[in-house]
Amino acid sequence: MRLGTRKLIDRGMTALGIGSIVLLAAALLVFLAPIVVRGLGAFVFRGTIEYRQLTLEKFGRGDVDAVEAEQAEAVEARRPVYEMLSAYKKELADGHESLDEAKKQFRADRKEMRRHEGLADQQRADAQAELDRREAELDRRGEQLAKHEASLVELEELIRELLGPEPGQSVPVLWRDQYGQTRWDRAQVKLDQILNVETWVDQDDPDQPRVRVLVPRADAFEGTTLAPLFPYIENNAEAMLLPRLTFYWRFLTDTSFDAHFFGGIWPEILGTIYLTLGAMLFAVPMGVVAAIYLVEYAREGFLVRVLRTFINTLAGVPSIVFGLFGLAFFISTMHVSPSKSVLAGSMTLAMLILPMVIRASEEAIRAVPATYKEAALSLGASKWWAVLTVILPAALPGVLTGIVISMGRAAGETAPIIFTAAVSVGKPLWPWEALSQPTPALPWNIYNLATEHEAVDEIRHVQYGMVLTLVLLVLLLNAAAIVMRARISKKLRA
Amino acid sequence: MVSSDRLVPAGRSLLLSYRADRMRRLGSLVGQSILLLITSSSILAVLFIFYFIGRDAIPFFQAEGFREFFTSADWYPSGDPPAYGALAIFYGSAMVTVGATLVAVPLGVLAALCLSDILPFSIRQMVKPVIEILAAIPSVAFGFFALVVFAPLLQEHGGRLLAWVGWLVGGPLAVLGVVVLSDLATAGLPEKLRAAGRGAIGLVLAVVAFVGLARLGDFFHGLQIVTGVNALNASIILGIMALPTVVSVSEDALQAVGRELREGSYALGATRAETLVRVVIPAAASGISAAVILGVMRAVGETMVVWMASGNAAHVPEPWYDFLASVRTLTANIAGDMGEADQSLGSSRYHVLFAMALCLLAVSFALNMLSEWAVHRSRKKMRGQ
Repeated sequence: MRLGTRKLIDRGMTALGIGSIVLLAAALLVFLAPIVVRGLGAFVFRGTIEYRQLTLEKFGRGDVDAVEAEQAEAVEARRPVYEMLSAYKKELADGHESLDEAKKQFRADRKEMRRHEGLADQQRADAQAELDRREAELDRRGEQLAKHEASLVELEELIRELLGPEPGQSVPVLWRDQYGQTRWDRAQVKLDQILNVETWVDQDDPDQPRVRVLVPRADAFEGTTLAPLFPYIENNAEAMLLPRLTFYWRFLTDTSFDAHFFGGIWPEILGTIYLTLGAMLFAVPMGVVAAIYLVEYAREGFLVRVLRTFINTLAGVPSIVFGLFGLAFFISTMHVSPSKSVLAGSMTLAMLILPMVIRASEEAIRAVPATYKEAALSLGASKWWAVLTVILPAALPGVLTGIVISMGRAAGETAPIIFTAAVSVGKPLWPWEALSQPTPALPWNIYNLATEHEAVDEIRHVQYGMVLTLVLLVLLLNAAAIVMRARISKKLRA
Repeated sequence: MVSSDRLVPAGRSLLLSYRADRMRRLGSLVGQSILLLITSSSILAVLFIFYFIGRDAIPFFQAEGFREFFTSADWYPSGDPPAYGALAIFYGSAMVTVGATLVAVPLGVLAALCLSDILPFSIRQMVKPVIEILAAIPSVAFGFFALVVFAPLLQEHGGRLLAWVGWLVGGPLAVLGVVVLSDLATAGLPEKLRAAGRGAIGLVLAVVAFVGLARLGDFFHGLQIVTGVNALNASIILGIMALPTVVSVSEDALQAVGRELREGSYALGATRAETLVRVVIPAAASGISAAVILGVMRAVGETMVVWMASGNAAHVPEPWYDFLASVRTLTANIAGDMGEADQSLGSSRYHVLFAMALCLLAVSFALNMLSEWAVHRSRKKMRGQ
């Protein structure tokens, strides 16, 4: 092969390698960017007057006078909407009335015509045709009215979703029905739905997917008194909802309300903390002891080989299998709790991270220079004393690093807690309740809200907020570990 | 450990009486036994897992037999009569795993090569945290990304996206291939004709490669992607999730190949690429295969991503290699069906999920043994040098 070609291959290989690294970093960025940007939307967003009203009435936060003033302003801006609606309803009622009138007239005329027996055929046919025409006209008017009424019902529902129930009406049960859109981004989506009707149209080629077409809703009301409503809503949406930049840090510490439509994610965060700490409670002592045994006491041989094989096997067990095992063993056989509970979930998670803790601790203990132990032993310390007072303290930062990383793993695992600990909706628990009760937890609720919630699209911000919280939690733990490790390696070098 | 035992023979202190000495040795024996007992808890855990999963799986095989489960693709557990053919689900698992491996292994091994042999130390220190962060991100977050961000993207712009990827990956590879092939093809020609021959063959090859790539791009572009939650989506995201494992384990294997081997190769006049391909990779082969196996294990056992991204359709895609079809995997099936099966505790519907878990367990156990064997072999090989 020519030298030039060989060089080219060499360069090509370098480029491929660097390209793969760049791709790795790009993958991370592509993943993190939407999570961070949209996740922040749960904390910082443009809240409408409905939002401020809700926080005032349900949480008791906010300035009563200011909110009331704003509310008055919004009500003023909304009044024309309701006026136009009632005017239109009246128009429809009038239409019904005149239609009934016309129908009555029509029936009378028909009777009249039937009574005239002696008409000539030609005349009779003409009269019949005239009657048919009138009947068709009446039917058309009736259909038109029915269509307008159906459109009105739909429109009223949409307006109720945007602005909340009309003042003076009875208060609905669900929070989401008591208030209009609390977030400006959601309000804009609703506004779009009010202004445009979405339809799907077949393309000429039947193999092609159908295309979305937006038709202005105003078309359905053309020529009626409701026609000016649409430009009014479009131009005065801000005045009706008064969006202001809102910083909702209590997203982290509020309980959720009305199936996560409102409030924060505190129960999930607390559940995750319980599960993680519980798992550490079981896994850390066992793991560290096992690591001490493997490094300091065990002699390389058959037993240690078997032990290591089993630890590796445990590390390789799929997480969903841990979940099934937790259900079959901790709950169905050991009856640690009547059904799912934080305790059972913690124990299951502990089994999952045990191998990680063992490996990390082993590495940390192995990294302690042999001279430490030799010095301790030469001063007359017994072996276990040397381990306890010299080796363990020296290995502690490394052990902690491993523990912190395993914590991140435990916090993010979903599959093991599905059958053993997690529920979709729940109150924040007290620590003693955690022994016997299930809890919501961040990972499970992310899945649950993103796939099984009744209004997946409307609570995207909550889902993104949860994902961001979980990712940040795990990354912070890992960052702490990285910093700790850097300090250790500096210390060891010095 | 050994040396300290020699310094203080068998833990015996000269100042102690015989009795105290006995007590002390007894104490250390008891202490060590306790330590051993605690350490053995991981053995116990593994045995318990096998026992309890097996215990609940056996009733299924007793009631329904093996044949249908492993050979039929009809999965209607709630039908009347119920059908428990898991073949399609096994196939879904295999398909997604193969896809993830195809993504993770080339990228991972290349990245590991780059980290161990190409990048300078300072940049390596910057890249390492990126890999660690990628490894730390919870699977449900990846699953959420796959479902909410990636699936709509794939559905709407999938064809274009694939075409771009085709050009991006295929283009540079094609350039390299053309140059190398034209060089190889002209090796036998006499000196004078070589340059001209190389040019001519290179041109022909380049045209062929370009046309091929263009047709491939057109093919991708014309693809109809019916749903964004499909085997491709799950494979790509799973592959990215398995990447850190593949990178870090194979990087360890590559680092373990001694400097001497590399320097020897350079001394013989090899370029870096030749050194890597001919010397370093063969020397680290068993370590790299261990990395691949661990990556595969990660993909097989992953639940949340496939549950959210694969579409959960329990049938074999038509045609069988159609990565744009929705599939269902074992893990997703266990997670998804348990909610309904839970109420019918003790029924076949409940036990079949344990049967699936047992299969998963068996596969991951076998893969684990294989990777251990690979690691063992690579250690032996390294020691041999």
